[in-house]
Amino acid sequence: MPEREIQRTLCRMCDDRCGIEVHLEDGRIVDITGNKEHLWNRGRLCVKARAAVDMVYHPERILAPLKRTADGWQQISLAQALDEIAARLAEVRERHGARSISVWKGEAIGFGQQENIARRFVHAIGSPNYLSNDSMCYAARYFGFKLVDGAWPVPDLANSRCIVLWGANPPYAHPNMTQYITEARRAGATLVVVDPRLSAIARRADLHARCLPGTDAALAWGIIHELIELDAVDHSFVERFAVGYAQVAEYARSFTPQRAEAETGVPAATVREIARAMANAAPRVGTYVGNGLEHHENGVNSIRAVAIMDGLLGTIDQTGGACFKCPPPLQDLTLYDELPLTELGPLGAARFPVLYELRQECHTMTAIDAILEDKPYPLRAMIVTGANPALTNPNTAKVRRALEALDLLVVRDLFMSETAALADYVLPAASFLERTELHAHAKHEILSLTRRVVSWPDVQGEYDFWRDLGRRLGAGEYFPWPDESALNRWLLDGSGLTLEELEAHPEGVPYGHACAVDWRTDGFSTPSGKLELASAYLKGLGYDELPVYRRPAYREAADPAYPFVLVTGARKLLYLHSRFRNIARFRTAIPGPEVEMHPDDAAELGVRDGDVVTVTSPVGSVDIPVAVVAPNEILPGSLQITHGWKEANVNLITHDDRFDPVSGFPLMKSLAVRVERRARDVDLADDASPA
Amino acid sequence: MRIVVVDPDACVACRDCEYACAFQQSGDFARRDSCIRVNFYAAERACVPLTCLHCAEAWCLEVCPAAAIGRDPGTGAVTIDTRRCAGCKMCLLACPYGNIHFDEQAGVSRKCDLCGGDPACVRFCTSGALVFMEADEAAERRRATLDARLRRALRLDKDEE
Amino acid sequence: MHLAIIGNSAAALSALEAFRARDCASRVTLVSSEPGPAYSRVLLPYFLRGRVARDDLFIRLSRYYESLDARTLFGTRVEAVDVRRRRLELSGGDGLDFDRLLVATGSSPSKPPIPGLEGPRVHHLWTLEDALRLDELLLPGARALVLGAGFVALQAAWAARRRGLEVTVIELAEHVLPRVLDEPAARLLEREMVAHGLTVHTATRTEAVEHGRDGALRVVAAGLDLLDVDVIIVGTGIRPNAGLLPQAVEAGAPGIPVDETMSTVIEGVYAAGDVARGPVCAGGPREIHALWPTAVEQGRVAGANLAGAGVAYAGSLSMNVTEMFGVTVASLGRIIEGSGDQVEERHDLPPVRYLKVVSREGVPVGAVALGAPDVALLLGRLRSLVRGRRPAPAMAALLEGSDLPRLLARGVPEAGYLWPARGPSREEKRCALSS
Repeated sequence: MPEREIQRTLCRMCDDRCGIEVHLEDGRIVDITGNKEHLWNRGRLCVKARAAVDMVYHPERILAPLKRTADGWQQISLAQALDEIAARLAEVRERHGARSISVWKGEAIGFGQQENIARRFVHAIGSPNYLSNDSMCYAARYFGFKLVDGAWPVPDLANSRCIVLWGANPPYAHPNMTQYITEARRAGATLVVVDPRLSAIARRADLHARCLPGTDAALAWGIIHELIELDAVDHSFVERFAVGYAQVAEYARSFTPQRAEAETGVPAATVREIARAMANAAPRVGTYVGNGLEHHENGVNSIRAVAIMDGLLGTIDQTGGACFKCPPPLQDLTLYDELPLTELGPLGAARFPVLYELRQECHTMTAIDAILEDKPYPLRAMIVTGANPALTNPNTAKVRRALEALDLLVVRDLFMSETAALADYVLPAASFLERTELHAHAKHEILSLTRRVVSWPDVQGEYDFWRDLGRRLGAGEYFPWPDESALNRWLLDGSGLTLEELEAHPEGVPYGHACAVDWRTDGFSTPSGKLELASAYLKGLGYDELPVYRRPAYREAADPAYPFVLVTGARKLLYLHSRFRNIARFRTAIPGPEVEMHPDDAAELGVRDGDVVTVTSPVGSVDIPVAVVAPNEILPGSLQITHGWKEANVNLITHDDRFDPVSGFPLMKSLAVRVERRARDVDLADDASPA
Repeated sequence: MRIVVVDPDACVACRDCEYACAFQQSGDFARRDSCIRVNFYAAERACVPLTCLHCAEAWCLEVCPAAAIGRDPGTGAVTIDTRRCAGCKMCLLACPYGNIHFDEQAGVSRKCDLCGGDPACVRFCTSGALVFMEADEAAERRRATLDARLRRALRLDKDEE
Repeated sequence: MHLAIIGNSAAALSALEAFRARDCASRVTLVSSEPGPAYSRVLLPYFLRGRVARDDLFIRLSRYYESLDARTLFGTRVEAVDVRRRRLELSGGDGLDFDRLLVATGSSPSKPPIPGLEGPRVHHLWTLEDALRLDELLLPGARALVLGAGFVALQAAWAARRRGLEVTVIELAEHVLPRVLDEPAARLLEREMVAHGLTVHTATRTEAVEHGRDGALRVVAAGLDLLDVDVIIVGTGIRPNAGLLPQAVEAGAPGIPVDETMSTVIEGVYAAGDVARGPVCAGGPREIHALWPTAVEQGRVAGANLAGAGVAYAGSLSMNVTEMFGVTVASLGRIIEGSGDQVEERHDLPPVRYLKVVSREGVPVGAVALGAPDVALLLGRLRSLVRGRRPAPAMAALLEGSDLPRLLARGVPEAGYLWPARGPSREEKRCALSS
C-alpha cells in the first residue's frame, strides 16, 4: 500500500472555496476529502470537489502552448509562445496604441489577488482596459449595497430569525450557505425566498414569493410600504444614521400590497406576510441577494431597494443581521494610483461611470463593440484567462465575430474551450491545485493559503504568466517578485501575518476586524457618511436618486411577437457556467440543456417533454429540448434555460444591447422571446442528445 | 448504533447524497446505483430522502434464504454479502421501505452498508439534512425539529390577530 | 425446561434464534431426519442453474448451534410423539424427553398416482439429495419433462433449460402457476417460456410413464403425442408432514392447525412452517402458506412464545418472488379476486409488464407483478399497506409517488417512516447470535 501524503488547500471548483485535503500517492493526486478544521465548510464538500482529480488529469487537458497555423494547432515551447505573443502585442501597441490591448479575466481564475495581477499587468503595459466576468456578475450587487451602506455586508444567516433570499439559490451556487440556513431554520427562523422559479432552496421556503422576472423592486417597495405601516422601522436608528427616509416614505406610500401584486404577481397577502415576518424578526433579519436580481434593466435599483430594508430595520452589524466584514489587510497590487490611465478612456467608463468609478471595471460588451466598430477607438488584442465569453457572454454570434476579428487573441485555459478554439495562441493554465495564492473568507475574516500540489513544466500560474509577459514588454519593474510565494510574502507585508503562519495553518488564520471603521462614531463609507436611502451621488450622475421601480420592458412595452419571458442562468449543482461538461459522470447525472416550461404552456404549444423547440429573441434563435416542469416550479408564460451548454447555447439570444444603466449589466433574466415547436425528429447540433 | 438519520424539513433534493453514494458504488453518478434515494414531490414541495434504517429486527436479514444478509460487527449495519447472494430478490419484497435495489448487471441485491462507518451521503449533504447519529437520539432530534417547525408556524400566525 | 425442536429448516432455525434471544437457560435439542448442515431449499433451483455453489447452499454451520447452546441430533427420525409422557420416540429405539415441543417438520412433495412414475430418472426437486441427483442427470442436449407448473416445478424447468436441455412442461391446471398468478399473468409467463424454447402443455393430464429397456422414459399424456424423455422432474404439490401429531389435526384439513401464538391444541406443543395451518394476514380461515418467509415469521413467533413471550402472530402474508424465463415474477397476498373486490391493473408501464392490485373495501389485499426486478420493490412497498389493513389507494401509492409520503406514514405503525420504525435497541444480554 503506497504511502499517502496529504496536502491541505482550498477547492476552487466553485466560488465557495471549501477547505480540502488532497491525497497523493507517489506525487499523484488520488483523492480529495474535506478539511474538518476549516471554519468555512467544516469538512463538508460537494461532489464537485472530488471531480477536481478528474479535471486535473483529464485527457483533454492542455499541457503545452498551442499556436494556430494553417495546418492546425502546433505545439510550441513556452518561451517561444511568450516571445511571439509579446512581439505581437508590441506590434499592436505600436500601431494602435496601448489601449488597443485588453485583458479579460474570467470567473474560473478567482478574485482578489488573482484579478489584481491582471489589473496590474494591463496598466503596466499602458492600457486601462481590464475586463472581467464582473461586467455580468457581482458588481451590480456590490453597487446596490455599497451605494446604500458603503459596503456590501455579509448576512449572519445562522443567527437570523428571518432569512430573505432574493434571486439566490445557495444549494447550487454557494452550497455551504445552505448549512447556515438550515441551522437558522432549526432554531425557528422563517425562510422567505423570492424567485420566479421553485429553486432548490425555495422547496424549503416558508414563504415563496413567485415574483415575475424583473419586478423585484416592486416587491421590495411593497414590503417597505408594509414595514412602515407595521411601524417596524427603527426610527431612532434611521434618524441618526440614514438620509433620505422622507423620500422613501413618500415613494413607498403608493406601493400598497395590491399595487405590488399587480406588478409582481405575488399575492398581496404574501407581501404582507413577508413584511410581518421581517418585522417580527428584526433586527435579526438576514438578507442575501443573488445574481438573479442583477441581469435586469432595473437591476441596481432592485438591489438598492432590498438593501435599504436593512437600514430601515436597523439590522446593521446586529447578530443575525447585515454585518460588515473586513477584507484582508493585504498590500494593493493594482496601479490605479500610480498609473490611473483614465485619460485613455477605459472602455465603458463613459457609458457606465459608476462601473468604472466604484470598481475600475471596463465593460465587456462595450469592448466587443469596440472590436467590431473601432468605436470609441480600436480594440485589437486581447488576453483572456479563465473565461469563456464565446459561450457565456450575451449575443454569442457577435462575440465570436469580434474575437475572430482581433489581430491577436491569446487564451489561457485548462481545456480547449469555445473561446480558446478561436485563439491565435492557447496557453495551458494552472488549475487551483497548481497555484499558491491567498484567499480570504470574509464571513469568518480568515485568510488561507492555497498550495501548489502538482505542476507541469509549461503550465503557468497567473502570476508567472503575467510576470513573464510583462517583462518582455518592458514592464518588468512592476513584476519584481521571482514567483508566487515571493508575491504572497509581499502581499502579507504589514498585515501582521506571515507566510509561514499561513502555511502552518491551512484551516485559515484570523486577520481581525482591523479595517472596521466604527460607523457609530465615524460614519459609513458613503459620500454623506450615512446610510444613503436616497443617493445624491447617483442623482448627480443623472440616475435615480431613489431606487425606484421601473417596469421591465417585456411588460411595459409587450411585443406580441415575443409573448414569453425568458430567465437564463439558473444554477446546477454540478456545473459552473460553462465548466465541467467534460466530466463523464456529471453528464450521467445532468446530460444536457433544456428549456423549463410550464405544463399549460406546453399543452398550448402542443409540445411534450423532450420535444425540441426554437426559442427566439430579437437577438437570435436557439433550438433546445423542452423539460415540462410541475405547475408550481415555474410561472406560466415564463421559461428558464441554464447557460453554458454549447449544444444549445442560450446566449445566442440574450441581449448585449439592453442594460441596467448604473451597472451596465446586460438583460439576461427577463427577456421577451417566442417559442415554436420543431418537427419531432430534429436533433441538436454536435453529439448532444435531447434531455 | 449510529444510523443515517434524515430530516426532510432540511432537505432540498439536490441529490448530492445520491451522486456521492453512486460514485462510491460504481464511480459514476447513475442514480440507480445509489443506496440512498431522494424523492421529490413538486406539488407538496416535499423532499424525502430514503435510506436503509438498519432495523433492529431486519426483515431482509431474517428472510434471506441464502443467509447472505448479516450484520457488520463493527458498525451494526445490515449488509449483503454479494458473494452469497443468489439474486432471488426476496429482500426487495421484504423491505417495507424499498431500500434494497437490484443490480441487474451483477445479478445481486444491493443496499446501504453505512460505508463502513463514515457514510458518504452524510459527508456530502448540502443542507445538513442527513446526520450520522445514534438511533436513540434520533427521536430526540425529531422532536426538536418538530418544535422548530411549530415555532416558525406560530411566528407567522402570531400577528394575524 | 427442555425444549425439543423437530426440524432444521427455516421455521426451526428462526424459532431457535427467537427462543434463545429470551431464554439462555433452558436446554434445547434439535432433531432432524436430514443429515445436516441446514441448507436453503429456496436455493436449490439456483444451484441447479449454476448460480450458487454447492457449499453455499448451507446456511448454518456447526458452530452456530454451539453458539446458541443447542444440542443437535441430525440424521435421526422421530417415529412418534408420546404427548402424554412428553417423549419423542426416535429411530434406533432411543427416546427424548421434552417439556415443550416445536413441530417444524415441513412438508414433502406428493406424487400423483401415475403408473410408471418412479425409478432412478424420476425426481422431485425438494431436498438437497434431489438436487444433487438432478445435477448429475440434467445434461446438455438431454430431454426433460417437468410435471406440474407450480413455483418449484417452473424453477426446475428454467434450470434445466439453462443447462441446455429440451424441456417440456405438462400441467393439469388451466395455466402455469395456478395458485400464484391469475390467468393473464400466467399467459404472459407462458409466452416467455415458449420464447425461451420450452414446450408448455396446460390443461393436460399425464396418464402413464413407460420404461424402455435402456432406461429411457416414454410419457403418455391425454391429447399429446408420445413423449420420449431422459429425466422427469415431478413438482405437482406438497403435503405437510403432520403425521406425528394425529391428535392435533382436524379431519379434512391438511396440516397442524395453530392459533395466533403458533400453539397447537396440545398444551406446550407448537407448530410452525410448512406443516402449520396458521392465521392469515387478511383474516378468515387458517391456511398453509408453504413459503420461506412465512416459515421464518411463524418460527419467530413460536420461538418467542416457547420462551413465554406471549406474542401474537399478525398472520401470514404470502409473498413470493423469483426470476425465471427472463422475467421477475412477484406476488403478494391474495391475488385471485373474489366478488366484491376491486381490481386495478396496468399493462403499460415498462419495465413493469403486468401489475394487478386487489383491494377489498378500499383495503389492498394483494398484488401480482411481472417484469423487471423492480417489481419486487413495488410489491415490497405495498406489503406494509396490506399488513396495515388500512384503506389506501393502492395503485396510486405504488406508481404515482406523490401519495407515498402520506401513505407510508399511514401504513407503518409508528408514523415517522424516516425514523427507525423499531429502532435498534441498546446492547441486551443475549447469547451470542451469529448468522
